[in-house]
Amino acid sequence: MSTPFQPRGPSDPASPPGLVEHYFRHEYGRLVAVLVRRVGLHHLEAVEDAVQGALLAALTTWVADGVPDNSGAWLYRVAHNHLLGVLRKDQGQRQILDGMADQELGDDASPVSPAFAGEVRDELLRMLFVCCDEMIPQESRLVLALKTLCGFSAGEIAFRLFTTEANVYKRLARARDRLREGDVDTQTPPLESLRARLPSVHAVIYLLFNEGYLSTRAEHAIRAELCEEAIRLGTLLATHPVGAEPPTAALLALMHLHAARLASRQDATGGLLLLEEQDRGLWDAEHLQHGATWLARAARGDVFTRFHAEAGIAAEHCFAPSFAHTRWNEIAELYAMLERIDPSPIHTLSRAVAVAQGQGPQAGLAVLHGMVPPAWLDGHYLWDAVLADLHHRAGNAATAETHRDQALAAAPSAAVRQLLQRRLSQPVR
Amino acid sequence: MTKRKYLVLARSERTGGQTSGPSPEQMQQMFAAYNAWKEKFKDAILDMGDKLKSDGRVVTASGVADGPFVEAKEVVGGYMIISAEDYDGAVEVVRACPASNVPGARMEIREMTGAKM
Repeated sequence: MSTPFQPRGPSDPASPPGLVEHYFRHEYGRLVAVLVRRVGLHHLEAVEDAVQGALLAALTTWVADGVPDNSGAWLYRVAHNHLLGVLRKDQGQRQILDGMADQELGDDASPVSPAFAGEVRDELLRMLFVCCDEMIPQESRLVLALKTLCGFSAGEIAFRLFTTEANVYKRLARARDRLREGDVDTQTPPLESLRARLPSVHAVIYLLFNEGYLSTRAEHAIRAELCEEAIRLGTLLATHPVGAEPPTAALLALMHLHAARLASRQDATGGLLLLEEQDRGLWDAEHLQHGATWLARAARGDVFTRFHAEAGIAAEHCFAPSFAHTRWNEIAELYAMLERIDPSPIHTLSRAVAVAQGQGPQAGLAVLHGMVPPAWLDGHYLWDAVLADLHHRAGNAATAETHRDQALAAAPSAAVRQLLQRRLSQPVR
Repeated sequence: MTKRKYLVLARSERTGGQTSGPSPEQMQQMFAAYNAWKEKFKDAILDMGDKLKSDGRVVTASGVADGPFVEAKEVVGGYMIISAEDYDGAVEVVRACPASNVPGARMEIREMTGAKM
């Protein structure tokens, strides 16, 4: 795992020709955030075009001449000049231009570049809060963040979210419309006043992470990348006073502890592995350590969020010496807390599994006794898979088989179906 | 053995609609690919050349016309100068160039007369 905010520039001599991984994509996010702050949110599209143009110019120039010493400043200058050119052409924007600092307009050769890493961090963070504005429809927030902050193209976003490019454009357009309507003053509010949006920011980061972590469809590298982006944004948030709250720490703990196990969830052929089949030696030690550190910070203060409960559950799994020595009763209790904070039959189902591990299949079935699954869960493979497993282990062969058939029929992918087949045909222990 | 000089013209078909261009991540991949190509053929690439903007002027006996040149099906988007012993060698360099593998790309190689090195 790379650290989220390495100093930029031709920093890593080990990776010729001197660009860190995702350099272009992350510079895109940095430049958009900084320039939007200069010219206002309603120029977001012009800003994105200017940044795209600057990166293309870099591609050509840097291949010929090499990467300049201060590549970040080079990109900023080119994007800034490109943007001013476009805005100048547009007479309708004359007033906006007049509103901009005179020295910036008059001195194109040396535009003011953000000098301090802290300033860039603030602009990125402000952009993150802008993307999570409650005025923007929820499904557009994630897409806007992926586009502006993470530097993914519409096509790449569509590929990652399993939707069409047209749908991504539609969501982006809705977000931009809202930003234009709402931001008449062109300037985003100061960070402190954006603090109220923190829950929405958490929700978007969590969603981004889960798009990577929970997907059973995409290949490993794609999923890991989304998880890394979520952790990058979460870390950005946690390192600023506005976001440095226990729920942010809990969210980071949860993401690191899940990410630690991401690679071990698949075998060499891409098939999914059960927790008990996973090689614990493959769990990423660095992620585990980060997870433990953030979990300790999350415990400061007296709030207990769903992220705390989920991070606690992940920690129980991560730090158990083996599958057999997992503290299932602790996990069941954490799921019960999660249910109280965020009532969902999925959590009840998970609690039943933990209870069954700790106290036997009958106790697990008792948790689910009398529960009527909502329509979306009835017919979902998870519901039938858990029931099949618990009944199978409880010796109710006929009921188990019915649920097993339903679970296999409802499996969303071949990988999930294979996993279910293996799991549900295991001999009773 | 004598080396010859070749002018390479990057032509591409005029695209009707505006394409969104490569994503930042794709640009990074292209950057790596170009650098690898440049390193491999550093002796053959005499001038990396440049990209050409899409507008221009055409001077004829009857006057000067402004671009863009709508009647042209293809536009020259860039150029470079390479050296090779013969066309086979020149083709090898150009085929390996990342720009040759872009859909719609047509790289024209022309030997320069009187410029044997």
